[in-house]
Amino acid sequence: MPYPPPRKIVKAAERGLGNINKYITSEECEPLFELLSKYSKVDRDHLFLGPGSDIIIREVINAFSRGRNLITEYPSIPPRSRYMHGYRVKLIKIRLNPPDFNLDPELLVDIADKSLVVIGNPNNPTGKDIISRRALKLILENTDALVIIDEAYYEFSGVTYADLVEKYPNLIIVRTLDKAFGLAGLRIGYAIGGETFRHALQSLHFTLSRPSIYAAIEAIENLNYMKKNVGIILKERERMRKALEELGIKTYLSKTNFFLIKTEIYDLVDRLRKRGVIVLDLSSIWIRGFIRISVGTPEENNFFLAAIKNVLEEHD
Amino acid sequence: MIVNPIAGMGGSVGLKGTDGDMYKEALRLGAKPVTPKKTEEFLSFVTHKNEIMFFVAPGKMGEEYIKKYSFKYVVVGRIYGETSSEDTKRIAKEMVEKNIELLVFVGGDGTARDIYDVIDSSLPVIGVPGGVKIFSPVFSVSARAAARVLDAFIEGVEYKEEEVLDIDEDAFRSGRLAARIYGYLLVPDVRELLQGAKEASNVSKSSEEEKREIAEYIVENMDEDVLYLLGPGTTLKKIADRIGVSKTLLGIDAVFNYKLVGRDLNESGILNLLNKYGKSKIIVTPIGGNGFIFGRGNKQFTPKVLRKVGKENVIVVGTKDKINGLDYLRVDTGDLELDRLFCGYINVIVGYREEVVMKIKC
Repeated sequence: MPYPPPRKIVKAAERGLGNINKYITSEECEPLFELLSKYSKVDRDHLFLGPGSDIIIREVINAFSRGRNLITEYPSIPPRSRYMHGYRVKLIKIRLNPPDFNLDPELLVDIADKSLVVIGNPNNPTGKDIISRRALKLILENTDALVIIDEAYYEFSGVTYADLVEKYPNLIIVRTLDKAFGLAGLRIGYAIGGETFRHALQSLHFTLSRPSIYAAIEAIENLNYMKKNVGIILKERERMRKALEELGIKTYLSKTNFFLIKTEIYDLVDRLRKRGVIVLDLSSIWIRGFIRISVGTPEENNFFLAAIKNVLEEHD
Repeated sequence: MIVNPIAGMGGSVGLKGTDGDMYKEALRLGAKPVTPKKTEEFLSFVTHKNEIMFFVAPGKMGEEYIKKYSFKYVVVGRIYGETSSEDTKRIAKEMVEKNIELLVFVGGDGTARDIYDVIDSSLPVIGVPGGVKIFSPVFSVSARAAARVLDAFIEGVEYKEEEVLDIDEDAFRSGRLAARIYGYLLVPDVRELLQGAKEASNVSKSSEEEKREIAEYIVENMDEDVLYLLGPGTTLKKIADRIGVSKTLLGIDAVFNYKLVGRDLNESGILNLLNKYGKSKIIVTPIGGNGFIFGRGNKQFTPKVLRKVGKENVIVVGTKDKINGLDYLRVDTGDLELDRLFCGYINVIVGYREEVVMKIKC
């Protein structure tokens, strides 16, 4: 998120430094549980807190990987392979292909039985929803898989499957305050899941710091700043996409704060870097020519558009 | 540096190559040389100019271009009038005798084969794409990219083996792509700049490390009393190395209970072994930059062989950079019905306990 949080959230974090010689208590965390329960429209008992969504995912894998394969989409950022280090699991990555980047639900039903399935929805780096509600239910109802849906970009996409947790004990949703809430430096993640996951996650909130908890409470109590920033990002995203399409660059629809472009200029990333713009070159991990563009402030985005226009003029 | 002055000339006049006498036909149709521009583009983008001493072929095979730049250079060999692949091979041999550390060649698949005939994988090469047929993964994606590869070589990189493909030019002219692996050349491992080559995911491993991991995983999971038919390729060779048997790089070899029981087999040899040993599996890797697991470079796996073994007993392996360069996998067994049976998804082993599910497209 290119925008820092409002001053009052920073002040709340500072208040959390008051008694850092003491461990965090359940009572201090409870207001955050209640707020997230209301925000996510789920029972308080379905909520778990942790120091970042990737740590929560890792804890679930740690608890449930024995005798299970790990199935995930590919590419995914961060790479899921990092979750398997040290665990005796087989990692099976299902390749996403353009133009739809969808996961085939029938394939998943075929291979997901008795597995741990981790899916980013929307997916990073494609920015697409890659699994539909129907497909997810198919897997939950027809296999013995444990399914983790990473909804890190929920505030941008508006798509959630949190309501399914009540019915499906083998489903857990993981979210974060890193992205839309702009609190990446405080590392606050949370999960929505049933009894299946309680034992693995019930004490994880004790690993959070007091400044993080106080800031998170303030953030969830004051959602307007987040909604405003998300609104700006989504608008900017479409403005950038339109401008790039007018320059003749293929872009892809996205539901997040980044989007894909496809280019035939093999060293576009290098040439942008020389002009002071950093983008993510997916040629090295996926399919040549795909680049992920993150949406910044309007000024940053204008800088990027001018740089890419300059590269295109030079290329011609 | 050796430049093939006639490579690429067929393209603009609609010919699909300049092998043999097709060069004369290209000239007759008014074709102009392509490689001079590619060579100059390559030379102009090299940044470490002061650190390179070039040994170049004479005249239009190299000297003509290098003298326009500030490189130090020495001319090696002689040419007389029209040049041919024999000149490429002869001069390459002379250069090797001068203990060069790297050979840059400008041309197409035919030029790559000429270079391979002389040097095999004794020293690294950089292929600057300048031909009509540029299917071999040894080539950089462009002349400019080749310059970056040379800079990377000066700065220090590892090497890896990449395929040199032999494209049947007659088939190519009639719209069919029939390729076989001709050999392997050593290239600097700068993967994003090579044709059809990609880097691994978050952990930067060399190709050799990845092949070792694949080999370890395959051998660890090999069943007893099962015949394993190993297809061509360096990853398959790594598997054979791990088992402790010697393998032909371009042929089909067979292993049973960790012992070599067949070498460089044809269809009849394979079928005899299948009858003898019963339960069997095939291990293959996608060929080159086009993703064929059957039908290119391993035609010994005939429809009869494949039907006997069964799709469920086919294991596909491949390094991440090879797989990352492919949209899909493909099959072309020569039997349409059999091809359709293969269509769908298959797991490709890309590392130790790591697989990518890819689609086989008909």
